[in-house]
Amino acid sequence: MSVTTGHPVLEDPPEAALDWGQDDGDPSSDEPPTRTGPPNADAAIADLGLRNRPSLRLNPRASWARWFGSVAVRSLLFLVTSSSVLAVLFIFYFIAKDALPFFRLEGIRAFFTETAWYPSADPPAFGALAIFFGSGLVTLGAVLVTVPLGVSAAVCLSDILPFSVRQLAKPVVEVLAAIPSVAYGFFALVVFAPMLQEDGGRILAMAGWLIGTPLCFLAVVVLSDLVAGTAPTRLRWPVRIGMLLGLGGLAVFGLVKMGAFLGGLQVDSGANALNAAIILGIMALPTVVSVSEDALQAVGREMREASYALGATRAETLIKVIMPAASSGICAAAILGVMRAVGETMVVWMASGNAAQIPAPWYNVLEPVRTLTANIAGDMGEADHVTGSARYHVLFAMAFCLLVISFSLNLASEWIVRRSRRKLRGG
Amino acid sequence: MQLGTRRLLDRAFSGLGITSILLLGASLLVILAPIVVRGLGAFVFGGTIEHRRLMLEKFGRGDRAQLDAQIAAAKRARQPVYDMIAAFEKELPRLDPARRRELRTSLKELEERIAILLEPAPGTSDPVLWRDQYGQTRWDRAQVKAHDVLFAEQYDYTDPTQMGKKVWVPRAKEFEGTCLAALFPYVQDNLDAMLKPRTTFYWRFLLDKSHDAHFFGGVGPEVLGTLYLAIGSMLFAIPMGVISAVYLVEYASEGRLVSTLRTFINTLAGVPSIVFALFGLAFFINAMHVSESKSVLAGSLTLGLLVLPIVIRASEEAIRAVPQSYREAALSLGAGKGRTVLTVILPAALPGVFTGIVISMGRAAGETAPIIFTAAVSMGNPLGLVETLSQPTPALPWNIYNLCTEHEAVDEIRHVQFGMVLTLVTLVLLLNGAAIVARARISKRLRA
Repeated sequence: MSVTTGHPVLEDPPEAALDWGQDDGDPSSDEPPTRTGPPNADAAIADLGLRNRPSLRLNPRASWARWFGSVAVRSLLFLVTSSSVLAVLFIFYFIAKDALPFFRLEGIRAFFTETAWYPSADPPAFGALAIFFGSGLVTLGAVLVTVPLGVSAAVCLSDILPFSVRQLAKPVVEVLAAIPSVAYGFFALVVFAPMLQEDGGRILAMAGWLIGTPLCFLAVVVLSDLVAGTAPTRLRWPVRIGMLLGLGGLAVFGLVKMGAFLGGLQVDSGANALNAAIILGIMALPTVVSVSEDALQAVGREMREASYALGATRAETLIKVIMPAASSGICAAAILGVMRAVGETMVVWMASGNAAQIPAPWYNVLEPVRTLTANIAGDMGEADHVTGSARYHVLFAMAFCLLVISFSLNLASEWIVRRSRRKLRGG
Repeated sequence: MQLGTRRLLDRAFSGLGITSILLLGASLLVILAPIVVRGLGAFVFGGTIEHRRLMLEKFGRGDRAQLDAQIAAAKRARQPVYDMIAAFEKELPRLDPARRRELRTSLKELEERIAILLEPAPGTSDPVLWRDQYGQTRWDRAQVKAHDVLFAEQYDYTDPTQMGKKVWVPRAKEFEGTCLAALFPYVQDNLDAMLKPRTTFYWRFLLDKSHDAHFFGGVGPEVLGTLYLAIGSMLFAIPMGVISAVYLVEYASEGRLVSTLRTFINTLAGVPSIVFALFGLAFFINAMHVSESKSVLAGSLTLGLLVLPIVIRASEEAIRAVPQSYREAALSLGAGKGRTVLTVILPAALPGVFTGIVISMGRAAGETAPIIFTAAVSMGNPLGLVETLSQPTPALPWNIYNLCTEHEAVDEIRHVQFGMVLTLVTLVLLLNGAAIVARARISKRLRA
């Protein structure tokens, strides 16, 4: 039967239509397909008043019609479903179609290796390296914000918080996910940027202390404990206290130095890579939280109980057992977060400052940058009326690069998820 | 490791998790608080007499008799200002020439500031722009402008190593010794009487058309455009999405074909929104010619494509959640596959499907990038239903961007920007809230 329509899904035998007039053989039903009903079934059907329902007559011609109808319905449904495929292909085709003229006109090398972006100059220069770099820098920053925060929030949601508190925390994540990107961008531009510009140094120093102090404290305690563990028993306490004092002093010194450095920074423009990265990181949080929480939940209860039974604390269980088991899901979450950050337009357009330059030095996130998405959105307005020029096509070339990036990230995350599923099933 | 250290690490780990949750909540609060607080300022604010005058003269709202009395009172309070200026102009020729020249420019500037604060001076020609025809309509802006009247902005270049520093110099000092010096304390003390602020509740902000580049009026066309785009995109995405979900769950058997389909759907979900914008431009407008140029129709189609994967996933989940026994019961009663899907499975899955649809509608309402090149313009009238097929529309997300980056007087209309953001966020959150409530109901019913 599959020959007639050409796809393998349509494999129900026409006999199935004879089976009580059902319009297809449901593979999940375990009735034998040739069953024609017990003799008293007719009576039962008559009792139910279903006698004159055509669907229950074993009329071969009607059955064929029904079978044909069912195939038609199936094909129609399949066609509608495959329109998503068509949409993706069309997107690739139409973006590539308008991107190709640019590569033909201007060549590929200069586009990827030069930083001079003067599309309206004469002759124009289309070096997009700085813009690619801007996208990369902002995305990296967003990932640095979103992955640690998102994963620890997911761990907390799945393993630490009691059920009732979790029910309260979930809507917070959902609302964060629901807020439109332009509202985030507005916040970044109108509220956050002036704040950064006015007392950026103080804000940065505060943030540095808030993050650094607990981390340093933990590091000092753990390190001194580890070192003391190697010393002979009699010397353990003196070594421990000495290490605590020494490392603690070092940590305090480092923190003070860092605070002084950060506090002394001058932020020339509030719309810069840091601003965009932070807001983008917050925006990508819900994705990361929900995907990695699902991954953590998928690790069975047995693993946790086995680990507890061996005397591990909750932190040890989570770090040494649960998170490695869920690592691929967490990876997929991170990739989805990256995708969200790379593809986001409004926040970076409004908050990143839109200067097509590589900051000096390259890691200086307090300089304005421009990203691919913002460049497309911003330049299209000027390029629109000169449709057909290189200026118009270069934007499609950028969109094509974005498309390729997101497509490969998508494939990567799918591959990771599929592999982990196979591993879990196998193990 | 010592037991104490292990315990400390354990505590620290829990603390880290809880801190990150708190940070999540805090960032939500930090982002929403200014939007809500300042956004409400577009709806509830201290409206001056100028606001009421504008409402009456341009919109025909309010009580004329009552307002006339108030205007007369305000005019009386303003009269001394103009009297003082007139007296000063008479005094001016008597001053020594150098000072005279200096003061004349200062006076001109002062008069401009007063015209901005109160209204054009009596006797001057009628300006074209609404914003020049009236004084400050909002009390908060009026106070800023009163500050401009009282103080002059100057730059201090005494420190050559640094950029000029902005300093505010009282104008009273400039006019010291003249009869105009009395003006400044008068303005300071009688601002209230001259402008008569009163708490105003302007709910029509949601419905009014904007006037004079969003200086006055509301966001009616934008709200309407956003609704058109959201509903239009759903008209396209709902049938496609639900049918796809039905096919994927009920008809297709898992295999290579379905996994390919899923890969493509995931790819579609991952396409950056700005790429959708270019695609909408290149395909719907340039290739298919669904409309001459930007139109609500083209924008809706683009947005529909963008939310299609979300609708598919949500509907799929909802259909999958219908218990298998429902299907078996329907089949055992002799219903065919099609009948089972239409009369049993879809009704049972409807609340879940609805939840997904509402959430994607919120997404479509808030998306900006895809409509930039396909549907949105920064100014426009509310569209009729037929016009949506061929006309572009203003829409909240795009106008938020436009007003806070490209407007000629960004700082003057902050309240409109915040009001717009609040309107959009409220709209989206209401949709999501409805979805959350609906889902809670469903899960309760399923548990029972």
